[in-house]
Amino acid sequence: MKKLLRLLPLLFILLLLITYSSAKPITIKVWYPDELGVKPKYVDKAAEDFRKAFPNVNLEVTRYKIPSGDFLTKLLLAIDAKEAPDVFHIGGTLMPEFVDAGYIRPLTAYLVKWEDWKHYPKSIKDAVRYKGHYYTIPYGLDVRWLYYRKDIFEKAGLPVDWKPKGWDDILNTALKIKNSVPNVIPYVIYAGVAGAGGTVNHGYVPLLYGVKGVAYDVKSGKYVIETSAVKKVLDFYKKAFIDLKLVPQEVLTLPKPWTTMREKLGAGELAILFEGGWVYGGWVTRYGLENVEKTIGYTLMPSEKGAPYFTVGGLGTCWYISSQSKNPDLAWEFIKRFNTREIVAKINIEDPHPVARLDSAELPEFKGIKYLYDCTQILAQAKFEPMAPGISKFGNRVQLMTGRVASGEMSPDEALRKFIEEMRMDFGEVIVK
Amino acid sequence: MRRRKFLILGILPAIFLMTFLFVLPSLWGIYSSFTNMALLGKEAANFRFLGLENYIKLFKDSSFYTSFVNTIYFVVGSALIGQFLLGLIIALLIDYAEKKKIPGRGIVYGIVLLAWINPTLIAGFQWSAMYDYYYGTLNKFLNLLGIQKINWLGTMPMLSVIVANIWRGTAFTMLIWLSALKTVPLELYEASKIDGANAFNRFRYITVPILRDIITVNLIQITMATMGAFLLIWAITSGGPGLKTTTLSLFAYRTAFEAYRLGYGSAIAVIMLIINLVFGIIYIRLFRRR
Repeated sequence: MKKLLRLLPLLFILLLLITYSSAKPITIKVWYPDELGVKPKYVDKAAEDFRKAFPNVNLEVTRYKIPSGDFLTKLLLAIDAKEAPDVFHIGGTLMPEFVDAGYIRPLTAYLVKWEDWKHYPKSIKDAVRYKGHYYTIPYGLDVRWLYYRKDIFEKAGLPVDWKPKGWDDILNTALKIKNSVPNVIPYVIYAGVAGAGGTVNHGYVPLLYGVKGVAYDVKSGKYVIETSAVKKVLDFYKKAFIDLKLVPQEVLTLPKPWTTMREKLGAGELAILFEGGWVYGGWVTRYGLENVEKTIGYTLMPSEKGAPYFTVGGLGTCWYISSQSKNPDLAWEFIKRFNTREIVAKINIEDPHPVARLDSAELPEFKGIKYLYDCTQILAQAKFEPMAPGISKFGNRVQLMTGRVASGEMSPDEALRKFIEEMRMDFGEVIVK
Repeated sequence: MRRRKFLILGILPAIFLMTFLFVLPSLWGIYSSFTNMALLGKEAANFRFLGLENYIKLFKDSSFYTSFVNTIYFVVGSALIGQFLLGLIIALLIDYAEKKKIPGRGIVYGIVLLAWINPTLIAGFQWSAMYDYYYGTLNKFLNLLGIQKINWLGTMPMLSVIVANIWRGTAFTMLIWLSALKTVPLELYEASKIDGANAFNRFRYITVPILRDIITVNLIQITMATMGAFLLIWAITSGGPGLKTTTLSLFAYRTAFEAYRLGYGSAIAVIMLIINLVFGIIYIRLFRRR
């Protein structure tokens, strides 16, 4: 009896703990990075709707005002420490690596029952399917343009309604600007490690697609190196950086070359730049829509010999459900409430991107903006970024290869040989043809 | 015996901290270097012990060799030739000025010290702003003189980061030398002067032998600090152009926290540890009391 009495306080504490844990409300954690301040009001709107529908659920939304790369590191460390949020927001290209790592849950079961899924075109649905499952819903897609300054073109005696007839035309146009308009950078294409993702998706990939090259073979699940295509890409880099000196070497050395070069094009100090569609919004905010429409032109990227013209598409950033989430159904309810017709349209008006939902594009306020209309129209000509496991490793090797050629450290042939060697080292088997 | 117990008790907190903050993480790093530990992709889901595979791969990786050679250039250029020699010369000059009561010595001391007080990242951004091709102070200055702009970070990237690191780190060596010089008994110098020794011989046969231990510690310290220098290079060039300023610390960071390959990144860190040990052994042998 005495023993039982001694145990009583322990039992009491145990009972308290059980009561406390069972009374604790369910918490759904949502993490997202945002430096610009565009997303918060839309995330808050989705959160508000969620809280109305689930008043007993504690929804914790955390905005990280840090660059997306730093956010990714933070997220991966949290996942590794088994403290992942239920819902998080990262780039679409990371999807295969997150699936392979077992970090995210498929959304297929939710999507097939979701009324609004029918508003997404097949191309988008295909892009978010990996190993037989859908893993996310994109809302604002990425497109890229070849931007050019109309005022500089005028000074150089070039037509302002520019449609380059191929790669040589880009180089010749830039050369003409170099020779006739002083104190202006004729052309910028990103290369090297400093260019980060820009080197891959705004530099190497559009050129590779321009010679019908591919980077990854989905069927065999292997990376592909088509030597003649890669060689042509590297020859272009050599001409632009070394032979004709159209692109300044600073592109390889500036800590964030894209920040400087976007500013330079906006300020009229750079003539031609292949960049993301989202950059246009920054110029509009700074210089005003009327001024930007008057001075900055945009055109599709030509293939090596001209047609077909295309853009490089990307899934942008998307929401995912963590595989560590204990309440995936509720996590889905949040994602669903963010991807409404109105939110998708409004967020992409504010931060200009083509919309992933076709019915969002039909809203008059979206349709009324010429630039967004053009961006949505070119989706039909979009070739999407390579979606493959190990894409960051591939990207790093591409940065090294382009940097070696652009800095004059290696010839295109040497850099290509090195690239093959490094890709084999990283991925084992690589298809070289 | 009681005193011994008390001493052991006294150093226990230090041992505890060293174990948890240095020894265990280092052991964990060494262990990780034998695995495929990763934060992303297939490897993140399939943790495996690889044995020496990471090291074999590393020795076949040309980026590793480039980073290794860059590290040697950077350490020899900025730590040994730059910081150590320059710090020594400045310290000797200030010490001489103090003895001769030459005015302005405090200003020189203050200027050198300012560079060191500055946080590394700020110093990096300052140098980045100095070297910038378009808006940089150096090129603006050249412009004023009617000289054409120079692409500092494009044409001489390693030299540029070495100069920045010398500027930043010289004060440390100078401080060590200055305080050490004060410990040398003046009578020895006086006696050697009477014996007819010139300034160089006094330095060679009196100063260096007396300060041997301090020189060793200083060399080990600046070599290790320079080997691990990250922020300064990161802020100025991010390791570019290409890999021209990528030292082993940047290579390890990129591998571990940009490609998220922790195992491979750890192998690079272990190699850095070995290089540091080798340097340490060389210094100790070089300045060992005969």
